[in-house]
Amino acid sequence: MRWRPGGRVRFFAALVLSGFLLAQSMAARAADAPDIPIGAVFPLTGNGSEVGLDAKAALETEAEIINTPHPPIPMLLGAGGGLPHLGGAKVRLIFADSQNDPQKARAEAERLITQEHVVAIIGSYTSATAATISQVADRYEIPYISSDNSSPSLSARGLKWFFRTSPHDVMFTQAMFDFFDWIGKKTGRPPKSLALIYEDSIFGADSSRVQKEMAAAAHLPIVADIRYRANSPSLSAEAERLRAAHADVLMPSSYTNDAILLMRAMHELGYQPPAIMAQDAGFVQKAFLDAVGPLAEGVMSRSAFALDAVAARPAIPAVNQRYRARSGKDLNDLTGRELTALQVLADAIDRAGSTDHEKLRAALRATDIDGKQTIMPWQGVRFDETGQNVEATPVIQQVIGGAYVTVFPPEVATHAPLWHVGE
Amino acid sequence: MSAADLAQVAASGLLIGLLYALIAAGLSLIFGLMDVVNFAHGELLMLAMYATFLLNRAAGLDPLLATPLIALFLFALGLVLYRGLMARALTVTVNRGMVQIFITFGLAIFLRGAAQFAFGAEFRSIPKSWLANESARLGPVILPWPQLAAGLIAFLAFLLLFLVLRSEFGRALEATREDREAVALIGIDRERIFALGFGLGTGAVGIAGAALAAFYYISPDVGANFALIAYVTVALGGFGSLAGALLAGILIGEVEAFTAFLLTPSLKQLGMFALYVAVLALRPQGLFGARQ
Amino acid sequence: MSHPHALPAPSLLLAHRRRGLALAGFFLLLLLGGAGVSDPYTANLLIIALLFAGLAQSWNLLGGFCGQISLGHALYFGLGAYLTTLARLDHIPTLAALPAAALVGGAAAVLIGLPVFRLTGHHYAIATLVIAEAVYLLFLNWDWVGAASGLFVSYQGESWLDLSFRTSKFPYLLAMLLYAGGITALAWALSAARLGYDWRAVRDDPAAAASLGVGVHQVKLLAALLSGAGTALGGGLYAAYVNYVDPDSVMASRLSIEIALPAVMGGVGTLWGPLIGAAVEVPVSEFSRSYMGGSGQGFDLMVYGGLIMAIALFRPEGLASLLAGLRRRGRTA
Repeated sequence: MRWRPGGRVRFFAALVLSGFLLAQSMAARAADAPDIPIGAVFPLTGNGSEVGLDAKAALETEAEIINTPHPPIPMLLGAGGGLPHLGGAKVRLIFADSQNDPQKARAEAERLITQEHVVAIIGSYTSATAATISQVADRYEIPYISSDNSSPSLSARGLKWFFRTSPHDVMFTQAMFDFFDWIGKKTGRPPKSLALIYEDSIFGADSSRVQKEMAAAAHLPIVADIRYRANSPSLSAEAERLRAAHADVLMPSSYTNDAILLMRAMHELGYQPPAIMAQDAGFVQKAFLDAVGPLAEGVMSRSAFALDAVAARPAIPAVNQRYRARSGKDLNDLTGRELTALQVLADAIDRAGSTDHEKLRAALRATDIDGKQTIMPWQGVRFDETGQNVEATPVIQQVIGGAYVTVFPPEVATHAPLWHVGE
Repeated sequence: MSAADLAQVAASGLLIGLLYALIAAGLSLIFGLMDVVNFAHGELLMLAMYATFLLNRAAGLDPLLATPLIALFLFALGLVLYRGLMARALTVTVNRGMVQIFITFGLAIFLRGAAQFAFGAEFRSIPKSWLANESARLGPVILPWPQLAAGLIAFLAFLLLFLVLRSEFGRALEATREDREAVALIGIDRERIFALGFGLGTGAVGIAGAALAAFYYISPDVGANFALIAYVTVALGGFGSLAGALLAGILIGEVEAFTAFLLTPSLKQLGMFALYVAVLALRPQGLFGARQ
Repeated sequence: MSHPHALPAPSLLLAHRRRGLALAGFFLLLLLGGAGVSDPYTANLLIIALLFAGLAQSWNLLGGFCGQISLGHALYFGLGAYLTTLARLDHIPTLAALPAAALVGGAAAVLIGLPVFRLTGHHYAIATLVIAEAVYLLFLNWDWVGAASGLFVSYQGESWLDLSFRTSKFPYLLAMLLYAGGITALAWALSAARLGYDWRAVRDDPAAAASLGVGVHQVKLLAALLSGAGTALGGGLYAAYVNYVDPDSVMASRLSIEIALPAVMGGVGTLWGPLIGAAVEVPVSEFSRSYMGGSGQGFDLMVYGGLIMAIALFRPEGLASLLAGLRRRGRTA
């Protein structure tokens, strides 16, 4: 009788194959020499993976700058060759995939701490995953460095091992309203009404809440307040509502996909708001600028990073070039912050002179970095008792000539803003 | 809010509704023929969108011209999927319904992973096409050309599907659907009919994907944005009914648009779900479904 | 099984008892083994696997034994998780909140079952999917339960009453063992009881079952009650373990599939199926994420999806049948 591979055989073949793939990827991992292990939890597959993979490239760029010998870059730990106070020890990044799921993020954080023995964890893009990772880190008494979670509530939970290098939504939104105030005085044409559109996520909720509070404080009426369903097939009806409200400034909080859809939907209706002030996220992604092209001209966004602030931050070109080589993109608001988070952490480890967790926390607490020592346009890095960096001063950027340039505050601005409100 | 605003919203709802209808048509066709709900339908749509994107990038082919090619590609993919996967799933004797659900579900996950492997996680979009950023005007109502073209293509595809179902092949489909065993006696190859029917269903979703790619973003997870709506459309219109899918798709497009415009945008799918539940309470088999 | 109301023959009863002993032995072994696990990653794996074993076993009552393929069980899971979290935020002991969560989950399943059980086959599956999605949307927009931001329970110190422990995993392991074991015991008891026979009769041929005097609608509702309660209980335990709930992590439609999947992979309508399914599926998905997801290339999804397809195609009766096959071979040898 002729032998035919039966169902079970084929099934086991599939099982063996997957086991082989698994073993191979584990072997690749074991080949690295263990130095100072640092965990990084980001969404690397599924929704949000675009940002997660960029974050991976940014952190790897900074690790390369710290670890390898190269011509000095004018910033903290920019000399290369490892951490000086630890005998040139190298930082080793261990990435974990959260799939944007709080439970999985938590499990991965715990795995990094207990199996990979990381000295700290950097994360995590979305606030929901940060909520669980930071809680695990607190229980194991390992610092969690929030590189890019902007929800203000995260640092208000009394966690002792939570450090956020990034500004949060209150700081970001304050910069927007400072800008409105400044441009109103400068041009004599202040905005008289606002329209908010934000996705139905934790990001949209936090962003819009702060915006409403500050609008009320500034006596600016909100003429459209639209919470929309993220990842919708169409945003035409939402755009029609915005057109009907015709506010002076549209303030959107959306991720890349919805940002593309919203801009196109408004354009198709022949609607062009006098000014758009975005809460970062999708509006600063390369994919957004590529997709909407000239429609993006004049769009403003708050940002924690200013690629064009080369005069004030001379390290930017060298760092950006290295990042470009890895990812094919320029550094942006998110990747700039992620890269800097590792720099701040590595500096604290270096100053602690040890990987002991209590010493590391003390060193983080004592952090006092001048903004000029980083690539960020911030005054610097110094943590308050909640672990928030109080010197992370954001900027306002605008798409002029197809790329984001800095227009506010005047100290770091490279261009004068385009302002069509009240014309 | 003016009458012009309402007319605009109605037009937007109609255009997206036609696309919903076309996406659902393929699903409904496959269901009617072989009693299978394809849970990878959204991922097939995603593949069609990527294919359109790649053709545009590699050969500069406009999405409009690419549509027939993509339909053919998805048709061929459907044949392969049927022969390699579904045919086997249909011969299963134990837990039939369960196996079919989870085979297509596993396929959906696999295709998403494969898409991320092949194309990366970035959001893509077709940067330039003939119709991009152009709009037609009908009185106060603005009709963006890409969406208008998509709506027209969807409508033409429906006409084509109706014609196919009236042809000899359509009658063979119908006979196979009515009595799977008996058709063998009159010389119809059931396997061939099933394979072609499955291909026809995936081909329809290919057309929808190409039309959609002209103005929508593309990512490995994009299918999920349309999949649930497709299932509701099919159930609302009646499983297996083409006319039902057309009507239900348009209805859902309108209900969504008006819920978003008049009520809360974040709850716009709730309007569609409410419609579905209401119809189900009155006609459990859906608008055009046959009584069970 | 010939006649739905025929009393089980003595040999069947014996087999039933033997099956019960084997299951009890399995959970006892897990308890002994689990007590020895000190590594948190492995413990977490066991906890999640046991959680999904219990969830799948709950789903199996309705989907497997009674044959109603629900794709909306995330709804009951979410209700349990939210109720437990709200109670904890009000300083009600978790152990008191869990029975309430089960009650609410069961009641919700009955409420939904009343209209939906009129539907059959794919109509039923789609309806459950849609209703769960509608409730998910409501929670996403409902500020009182935190809307999209979710609810976070901060750590208040160690307590058994609140199922709150700093880093220790064993208490959660114990709780999940009790959960999965309890639902399995219930399924085992019912599988030989009148209700279990009625369920299978309804699954195999509702019309025939009705003609034999089985109250088809009531029997389905009873299955929904127990299944919904069991799922909500699992949701409550999840909330106590993770301390953070939001609509995406406890109510999304993806979860409905994840709840059903172990039962389908292991073997629907069997006692061992959900356990074996969870034992295979959870580690595969965790390992593939932990060791392949880091590459960011989608390998993990491909392996996971491929495995589901492979099992559905080549082992449609589930992995449990491999076990039965081995045993049969052992006996004849």
